[in-house]
Amino acid sequence: MAKQLGFYFDQTLCTGCKACQVACKDKNDLPVGVTWRRVAEYSGGTWRQDGDTFTPNVFTYYTSISCNHCDDPQCVKVCPTTAMHKDEHGIVTIDDGKCVGCRYCEWACPYGAPQYDKDAGVMTKCDLCIDRVNAGEQPACVAACPSRALEFGEIDELRAKYGDTAAIEPLPDPAMTRPNLVITPHRDAQPTGHGTGAIGNPEEI
Amino acid sequence: MNVHELPLVAFTILAQMSVGSFVILGLVQLSLVRKHGQEAVDKLSGPALYAIGPAIVLGLIASMFHLGNPMNALNAINHLGSSWLSREIFFGSAFAGLGAVFAVVEWRRWLTPLLRQVLAGVTALVGLALVLSMSMVYMLPSVPAWNHWATPVTFFTTTFLLGALAIGAAFVVVYTVRKRKHADVDEATGALLRTSLRRIAASAIVLLGIEFVVLPTYALDLATGDVHAQASAATLMTAGGAVLLTRLALVFLGAGLLGFFLYRFAFRGKERHLVYLATSAFVLVLASETIGRMLFYSSFDRIGI
Repeated sequence: MAKQLGFYFDQTLCTGCKACQVACKDKNDLPVGVTWRRVAEYSGGTWRQDGDTFTPNVFTYYTSISCNHCDDPQCVKVCPTTAMHKDEHGIVTIDDGKCVGCRYCEWACPYGAPQYDKDAGVMTKCDLCIDRVNAGEQPACVAACPSRALEFGEIDELRAKYGDTAAIEPLPDPAMTRPNLVITPHRDAQPTGHGTGAIGNPEEI
Repeated sequence: MNVHELPLVAFTILAQMSVGSFVILGLVQLSLVRKHGQEAVDKLSGPALYAIGPAIVLGLIASMFHLGNPMNALNAINHLGSSWLSREIFFGSAFAGLGAVFAVVEWRRWLTPLLRQVLAGVTALVGLALVLSMSMVYMLPSVPAWNHWATPVTFFTTTFLLGALAIGAAFVVVYTVRKRKHADVDEATGALLRTSLRRIAASAIVLLGIEFVVLPTYALDLATGDVHAQASAATLMTAGGAVLLTRLALVFLGAGLLGFFLYRFAFRGKERHLVYLATSAFVLVLASETIGRMLFYSSFDRIGI
């Protein structure tokens, strides 16, 4: 088996432009309603009291997220057909010839990675642009990022370089699925489970 | 209210009612034959047994409407080693298949009575495994409102409550039809009807009690849980809790109030009144459990994004 691949995302660089999202949609020809890579805007804030004056203390940061090709993928575990599987590169892939379109994986995945194509009646998901990767190129989302906030590669190398953080709101506790994802947190990033904000663009993700 | 999951509402309610009815019929066989005689028991329970078949088959057909690509439906039992959904479909089909075999064997009087009982016992166990798998399907770590002990407890309560009242309603209907059309019911059948109704009413009241203890505990757990659990609690209280209140009022009227009258008058009430009581109790509880299941699906709120 080849080495496990994964994504690195630098929250301090992301401007929320969504070029990654659009590049993914374009490259994979995704229908309306299916967006494998999405950019969540997480906002919150408090009031700071200074004498008799209250001043707002607010934050917003972006998280670009697709499938994390987890080590313990809930979608693979719950799939009744084995259509959802981890391939020889550690990429979580859907075999649409086997899928019944029950959408159970959609309930199970806390990253919203498996998405339903209502015309085809089956689930679809990020395949890490394996065709581009095999041709020596980067995945479309990584190649498109103008801030160089996204990287992909062997997860061991990414972790050696950038640490091993993925427990950032609005993402779930990584213990649930063990995602192959490394994040450099934004200065206002809030740890998972201790978030005080909310996702500002729920209709987009 | 969640209308997207209506196929699943129909499937889970029908399948649970079928398993519950089958188990209750088994209990009637085991506990009442000695006192009231095999003939009386067979007269009432025969048609009820055959009615379970269409119910579970209808449920399985309804579940197919949940699939985007039913052509691949046979793949759905590929992952028995890991997926509770595979196990649910496996036990669902096995329950329907074994139940059909048992119904035929019982009808034609094939095999010995002992072997028939063993077959019925295995079918009942497979049915209970189906209800367990069904509840485990919803024990997803990503959905706090479902990943709670209340899910299996509620599913089993619904199973026995609907099963008991469905059998009660079936018995009074079968009894009335036999009396009017065939005039082949005797005193033993009448006595069996009254004893069964009394026990069914008592079970319904106990099961109602379980529901009324579980629900507030569960609701408070959600309300004091994480943001997703709280969002689910808020959904349960949609429209000021009007839907939830309707569900609770219906189950209280059906299993509680009518259950009380059924218990009280099972031995000395007029047969006509028992027919009304048993059928309305079943209809009210069926409506309540269906609304409850729709609320269950509406309460979905997933962790993460």
